[in-house]
Amino acid sequence: MKIMALGTLAAVLAGTLPAIAKDPEPQFKSVEAKHFPRAEGVELSPAFSDYLYAELRAELTKAKLFGQVLGEDEVVDAADAPKSLVIVGTITEYKKGSVVKSELIGFGAGMRSLKVDANVARRSDQQNLTAIHVHVKVSPRWDEKIMARAAAKNIVKQLKNSLKAETKPS
Amino acid sequence: MCFRRVALRQWCILLACALASVTAAADDPKPTPENTIHVQLAEPVKPQAFSRPLKFFLVDVIDRSGSAQPMMVFKPRGGIFLDHTPSDITRAGLETCLKSANMLAADRDSADLLLTVYLFNFGLSDSSGMDFFGKVEFAVTLKNPKTAKSQQITASGTSIAGVAVRKKNIQKNVQEDIERAFADALRNLLRGVKLRDAVAALDVPPDLPAAPAQPPAPPPTTAAGKPPAAG
Repeated sequence: MKIMALGTLAAVLAGTLPAIAKDPEPQFKSVEAKHFPRAEGVELSPAFSDYLYAELRAELTKAKLFGQVLGEDEVVDAADAPKSLVIVGTITEYKKGSVVKSELIGFGAGMRSLKVDANVARRSDQQNLTAIHVHVKVSPRWDEKIMARAAAKNIVKQLKNSLKAETKPS
Repeated sequence: MCFRRVALRQWCILLACALASVTAAADDPKPTPENTIHVQLAEPVKPQAFSRPLKFFLVDVIDRSGSAQPMMVFKPRGGIFLDHTPSDITRAGLETCLKSANMLAADRDSADLLLTVYLFNFGLSDSSGMDFFGKVEFAVTLKNPKTAKSQQITASGTSIAGVAVRKKNIQKNVQEDIERAFADALRNLLRGVKLRDAVAALDVPPDLPAAPAQPPAPPPTTAAGKPPAAG
């Protein structure tokens, strides 16, 4: 009896485990994130753009939404272009914040803030799939690169939500 | 007596300064087998396909980072060092990738294009403090030996890795971070649009006669740029 039960359990596990282990096929084969340039008047260090780009790529890889996260300006086969996305964006605003204001007033006053606008387009026809607006606020004591991290997380989260909404049957 | 006391004081200050500098120098981490990492590509990057099979020859890799200690990638906690210079690692990585795709020329004469790499950044860059930010950046000069024309392209690779508390884990994360950034930079170079465009501009089909390496000297002109008047 015991052997029979164990055998049944093993058979059930053998049948279901491969199905669980198999990741669902990603909707898009690849995605390419570009460096986000700074709009006029945005005073950030030149390294910030590099850091934001690296964080964005790391978050895109973590999200597992795409088969491959391509490097900037990488050659893509014409056959794969309809299943490939390109993320372009601009850092539109950066406010340094004020420690004094933050300490004396509080309630969000004097916070360091960053605004980023991004567009996600299909590579083949440049059709805009979604527009992303991100506004990140952190303490003025924190490093500006922490904002890049938060912004990258936010961009990928919004992208995930919009792709999910697009694939949902109406 | 008073002068002697001042001189003694000066000697004491000098001795204290000398001792302080010696201790500061002793604080500089030194490479040991325990804090040395070996950076190499996990797997070679497959270069893009060109319109015709091309052979590249890597002439030189020149370190332009300006770093006094190019092999030290991480200073705190006793330091982390590379086992080879960034130039050697870059050369080995690039040659492995080209060799894997049968694109590496055996010598300079048999190459269609010559590559010279100028390395600007290899290792870790400033991060938020909550992670490691690996960055590899270089420029590559492509030269067609037949026409003597050349073009320069840039490539960069970045990577983010989590911080760690234990020294062993820090070393592991730093190594993985630099390896990923290096692979990313090579991928950016070998599979990039910039290389494709540069090759398209420089490559001369084998059936066409190549332009002479040295163009004929232009006719002598005057300082104003006009040819001298006859007679």
